[in-house]
Parts: sequence; structure tokens; C-alpha cells
Amino acid sequence: MPTRPTRVLFPLAGLTLALLAGTLSAATVHRGLGPEPDSLQIHQAQGLAAVNLLRDIREGLVTFDVSGEPVPGQAAAWEVLDDGLRYRFKLRADARWSNGDPVTAGDFVRAWRRAFTPATAAATAGLLRHVRNAEDILQGRLEPDALGIRSVDPGTLEIELNQAAPWFPEILAHPVAFPLHADGLDDPRSAPVNGAFRITEWTPRASIRLAPNPEFHAAGTIALDGVVYYPIEEPATELARYRAGELDITETIPAGRFAWLQEHLPDDLHVHPYLGSFWLGLNLTHPELGRSRELRQALALAIDRGIVARTVLGAGELPGWSIVPPGIAGYTPAVMPQSGLSQADREADARRLYRQSGVARNGPLLLELRYNTSGVHRRVAVAVAAMWKQVLGVNTELVNEEWKVFVNNRRLGTVTEVFRGGWIADFADPTSFLDLLIGDSSMNHTFYRNPAFDDLLSRAGAAAGAQRMELLRQAETLLTEDMPVIPLYYYVSRHLVRPRVSGYADNLRDIHLSRYLQLETDEF
Amino acid sequence: MKQEGILRHAATRLLGLIPTLLVLITIAFFLIRVAPGGPFDSEKALPPEIRANLDAKYHLDEPLLQQYFRYLGQIISGDFGPSFQYKDWSVNELIAQGFPVSATLGGLAMLLAFVIGSLVGIAAALRQNSAADYSIMGVAMLGISIPNFVVAPLLILGVAVYAGWLPAGGWDWSWQRMVLPVVTLALPVIAYIARLMRGSMIEVLHSNFIRTARAKGLPERVVIRRHALKPAILPVISYMGPATAALITGSVVIERIYSIPGLGSYFVQGALNRDYTLVMGVVVFYGVVIIVLNFIVDLLYAWLNPRIRYDETQ
Repeated sequence: MPTRPTRVLFPLAGLTLALLAGTLSAATVHRGLGPEPDSLQIHQAQGLAAVNLLRDIREGLVTFDVSGEPVPGQAAAWEVLDDGLRYRFKLRADARWSNGDPVTAGDFVRAWRRAFTPATAAATAGLLRHVRNAEDILQGRLEPDALGIRSVDPGTLEIELNQAAPWFPEILAHPVAFPLHADGLDDPRSAPVNGAFRITEWTPRASIRLAPNPEFHAAGTIALDGVVYYPIEEPATELARYRAGELDITETIPAGRFAWLQEHLPDDLHVHPYLGSFWLGLNLTHPELGRSRELRQALALAIDRGIVARTVLGAGELPGWSIVPPGIAGYTPAVMPQSGLSQADREADARRLYRQSGVARNGPLLLELRYNTSGVHRRVAVAVAAMWKQVLGVNTELVNEEWKVFVNNRRLGTVTEVFRGGWIADFADPTSFLDLLIGDSSMNHTFYRNPAFDDLLSRAGAAAGAQRMELLRQAETLLTEDMPVIPLYYYVSRHLVRPRVSGYADNLRDIHLSRYLQLETDEF
Repeated sequence: MKQEGILRHAATRLLGLIPTLLVLITIAFFLIRVAPGGPFDSEKALPPEIRANLDAKYHLDEPLLQQYFRYLGQIISGDFGPSFQYKDWSVNELIAQGFPVSATLGGLAMLLAFVIGSLVGIAAALRQNSAADYSIMGVAMLGISIPNFVVAPLLILGVAVYAGWLPAGGWDWSWQRMVLPVVTLALPVIAYIARLMRGSMIEVLHSNFIRTARAKGLPERVVIRRHALKPAILPVISYMGPATAALITGSVVIERIYSIPGLGSYFVQGALNRDYTLVMGVVVFYGVVIIVLNFIVDLLYAWLNPRIRYDETQ
């Protein structure tokens, strides 16, 4: 009985949709966004979704080019003075807000002071910690107007640093360093913006529509009529919507679908190295883990990274032999020396080191491996536990914790033994990773404390160029010997991009501003 | 049915709502605080100053009891406070945006389930123990046992991805985007209602007053419609109260799979993110919806079942 109405109804629905799709402007790009952005206020935004979206509607002194490299944005050019301790920015003459007002140096000063005002409670203000007096202001010892940023004249801005930071310009492309107009400040619904697009409609967890901002300095180069971002939490849903033709670019691909996509959508699949690595942290306050370097090395060598990356993960991830992932200009990561051996040799080494460590004198070691709830982490943990058992005879108890519980336990370090760790760079520099293991870093969940390592990092802070990179490399070499963390694999970025989208380039930072995108419109 | 009786009953029930809600708020408030971790715990440890500023901004630095009474005060004025996670929105705004979506989907699904479920159930009851009855109940059993996280992806794959008849997900208030989620939501409810309806219809059809009606020579059609339907539908009605409440406040699974901005995800997201205000907001809201719907069911019951009188002290 139900066949008749269905037959009439469904083709009708299809027709309506086809018509609807045809009337949608062909030069609108539909992008998956991942989760709903946590906030579109520049001082509250933390998640990747929010930061990516903010980079489309606002712009800092620095922005990114099509291949994700930092290039001048609202600044036309800058000078680096006093050995990297002072930056002088000349703003673009055509830098304007969406209401037509010029963007002035004062707009930056206003925004930065606001970021450091206690009432704002900007979680990402720490990214600007190298700016003069920033630490003191964060600690409440100085007022926000003591911050090392100064408007020389409306078109000239000066920023002073406590310490030279070669990667500093890249930070200026983060929303926390963006300017604010005096009207509405960063109210995401009413404030003027200075980016390539502006928001025309925002339905939480459904869609965010953008239209080009005619006042943007490069408005003439923008090919799109609009961008629609869809917050889609579930990667499988995102894939279904992509396959149904509702999306042009996805935020990710579902776990376990890599091989299928390689076979069925090879032209759409974009997998590229990404500035992130995954590792297992070892809590060095644990009696055995802390006492025996041999044990830590044995644990690291017993893991077959090829199997982890290719079979357990299988989405283009690369076996990881260092904390710092490859790809940072001027830096070659210090990989574990055994990375060149065969897996069989590594396992032989692992067994020898394990015997030397003497931890198994009174029976096999029992370790706890803690990870936060996620299918991928569970699979990795199971594989690692199996490898430890097989190669070393170490027994592993897997402990799965909800995210908030996990991050707390990891920080406190009272119950952790081996735990999931990993990091995605805030900026393309080895220190973004190495700083995590400084003795008194709040992010050092291993409680690793090596004065030689700390000293190399602080000497690198005073050095420049190749010499600096060499010191950082020496520091990372210490990590491969002391092994406070066991590197497992390097992250990759994963997207589906329709072949008719151009102006999209895979890159290490995985930043793809909509202003460069174009659509070939022959489909409709 | 006496008018004053109903009114008095209504007033008592509405008054009874207050202590129920108070208990609900209290338990929910302290339960979520017992969970380890807080709204501002994340991968990157916040500098202590920023952390202190955040705590002060959201009054998390006050003693818990003081926060509890502050929260009660807020709720009385109808303000659920700002969301910790979605910082650009207040909990009131999030509920105001999510509830109409969930209520539309849930309402349509309930309507569909009620109509189809009852008809199918009656049809099965009238052909008790026939092949038709067994096949209907077999299908219904399948409908109950296949979880919607299996049904939904299959529907998406078949109807949206391969056939291209309907969108695969998302939300813009168009009917095309409602069809799949409504059907997915309705399927298990149809099955459940069909089974309920069949069971009670069979029972009613065997009762004396039906035999009397038939003995009077009334046509079967009239017997069913005028005499059997009303008492037979009672169990369905009492099931529909909580079921409707569950449907119109959204389903996490359906919302995730179809990427629908309804209310259901907030329960899970809010709890996982320790978004205290959001969790409290949706819990209180859900509590009110359940109480109101159960109340409506009670009234319907009284109307359908003359044996229930609210003016009698039982």
C-alpha cells in the first residue's frame, strides 16, 4: 500500500531539491566546520572551529597565504629592531572596518589591552606572553596599559618583546592578536569586522553564512559570493552530506574510512602532514618509570610504529620518532637513534634494555596506560599493550577516562603512569613542542626535570637563526635519550575537497582561508 | 465529570510541581558538581590569574552552597545564566533555539507514530492470531529492537546518498530535512504503540460490554469506534505522556547522525563539558515538560475513562 504515494512523493522531493540546488548561488562554498565554535569573540575563542572561522571574518597584522605561510595582513610591512625585541608595523592605508572606518594602530592597542584585562579572562592571552610586561599583567602585578604595545601614529604600531621570538609574527595571525573597533568590540553579532567576509546569519549548530566584506582591502580578489559553514560534530554525517552533494570541503574524514575513500573518492581526498605529534607520556614520579632510563627506552623500542601508523590508525599517519614533527623550516627533528634499525633489531635492543633495567626481577612489570575516551586512542592503547606484552612480557592495564577527568588526572600526576599525550603546534617552531617538557612548565605532565635540557632551551631563547635551531635540536636529542615521552606517530590533516574547488592547497598548518577559494561553476 | 473536581485536581498537581522541581534542581546541581573536572579544565592549563578571573566571572570561587542559592534565585527570575561552553549564547537563548526544532521533530514523530501505530495495532487485534497479525507484530518487534543509530545511517545511505531524494542531514526548517529524522524517531514508537494498542484492544473486545453491544445487533464498525476504541486507547495515552516528553526534548543520537540543532545534544555535551548552567537549564526544562505532559495525560485519562473521578478522595 505505501508504494504509490512514495513513488509520487520522492521523485517530487528530488526535483524540488535539484531546483533548490540550482538556484543556490553556484559561487557559494559549503564547508564543514567540525563542532559548533565555542565563541566568535576574539578573546574567548579557543577551539579550532572558532579560530578558523574568525580568520575568515577578521584579520590581524599578519595573515596566511594560500599555502598557509604567514604573510602581511592588516600591516603593509614591518621592521624588526633591537635584535628582535621591537617590531614596528606600518598599517595598510586601505585597511578598513566593514563600516568604512579605517583600521588604526589604536584599534590594536585597545584590543590587546582588553585581552589582558582581568574581566575579559581571555584564555589565549598566554600566546602573547613574550610581549613586554605581559607576564606581570597576567599575574596581576601591573595594569593592562603597561603592555608593550604602542600607537606611534594611526598608521604605525610598535610592539616590544621581553625576549626575541622568531615565530612572533605568526602569533599575530591568531585571533587573540586581532584589532577591535570601538563600537561593539568583539560582539560577534553586531561589531564591525575587518576580514574578507562578514557573518550574515548564524543559527547555532546548523549553519553560519558569510558574505564578502566589500570594505576588505583585497575585496577585489575574492571570487566567492558567499561561504556557508556547517557545524557537524559527527564525521560520518559529514561524509554522508559530502557524498549527497551538500558540502564542498569537509573538516575531517571518519576514522576507518581512509581505505574506502582512497578507492572511491581518490580525487577528493586530501591527506597531508600536520604540525602535530602523538606520544605516550611517562610519569617520572612513578618509582620504576622514574628510576630506570633503560625501562623507558625499552618501552619505546618495543612498539612497532609501522603497525601503529599503517594498520591500527591507517589514515595516512606517519610513524613518529621525535617530539617535534618534521616540516618546520630550518629544523630537522632529533629522531630516536634506533629509527634506522629494523623492527627485529629494535625489539632485541628493547629486551636487552629491559633486562638491564632489572625491573622484572620480581616478576613481570604491571603498568597502567591511561587515555581519554576515543575509538582511535583505544585502538592504539590495545596495540601498544599487546606489543609490550609480546616483546617484553610487560602487563598493561588499560584505563579509559572521560576527557575532563583525564586532563585533570594527567595534570595532577598522582595516579598516572603511562598516559596518552600529544600536541598540535600553536606556531611553526620547535619550541611549541619542546617548551612542554621544561622542568617547571605547567604542561609538563611527565614531571621530567633535566637542568641540561632547560639550559639548552634558555640558551636557544637568546640565540638566533641556525645557532638557535642547533641548540633546540640538542635539547630534543636529550629527550630521545631520557625518553620522558614515547613518540608514536605524526598527525596528518584530512579533508575531502571537491575537485571543482580551486585555490585550496594542502599545508602543514592546515589553514585554508576562504578568501582564496574559487569554484568552477560548470556543474549546474 | 465534575468541573470543580478537575480544577481542584489541576491546582494540586501544579502546586506539586514546585517541590518536584526543587528536588530535581537540587539533585542535578550537586550531582554535576560531584563529577571531577570543571568547565575550564582543558588540554592547555590556564595561567592561574586567568583561571581566577574566569572563576570570579562565573562565581565559581564562591562556596558551593552560596552558588546553589544564587542559582535558585536566578531560576526564579527565569534566567538560566550564560553557557560556559557556548560563550556567545545564554542558556535561555540556546533552549529557545533548540526546543522548537526538537519539538517540531518530536511532535511530528509522535503524531505519525500515534496514527500509524494505533491503526496497525487495531488492525492486528481485529485479525488476532492470523497471518496478518503475526506479520504486523513481527515487524513491530523489529522496529522496537533495531536501534535508531542503525536505522538512521541506513536511511541516509539509501535515501540521501544513493537515491539523492532527500538531504543527508542539516537543518533549515524545510520539510525535506524533516522527513528522515521524523521517520527514524517515529519507527520504534510506532512499533511500541502498535503492540500496546493490539493488546488492550484484544482485552477490551473480550469484555462484557462489547459482548452486550454486539448482542444488541450493532454493526462491528460502530462497536469498535464507539465502544471499544476509547477504553482500548487508555494504555497508549498513558504511555504517550513520557514518550512525548522524551521525543520533543530531542534525541542525542538522531541529532548527531542528522546534524540537527535540537535540544538533545545539550544534555550530553553539557555534561561532558561540565557546562554547569547548560546542564541545569536543560534538566529543569525537561523536568517541567515531563510534569506538564503527565498532567495533560491525566486530564485526557479522566475524559476518556469515566471510572476516574478527581473529586473522590482515593
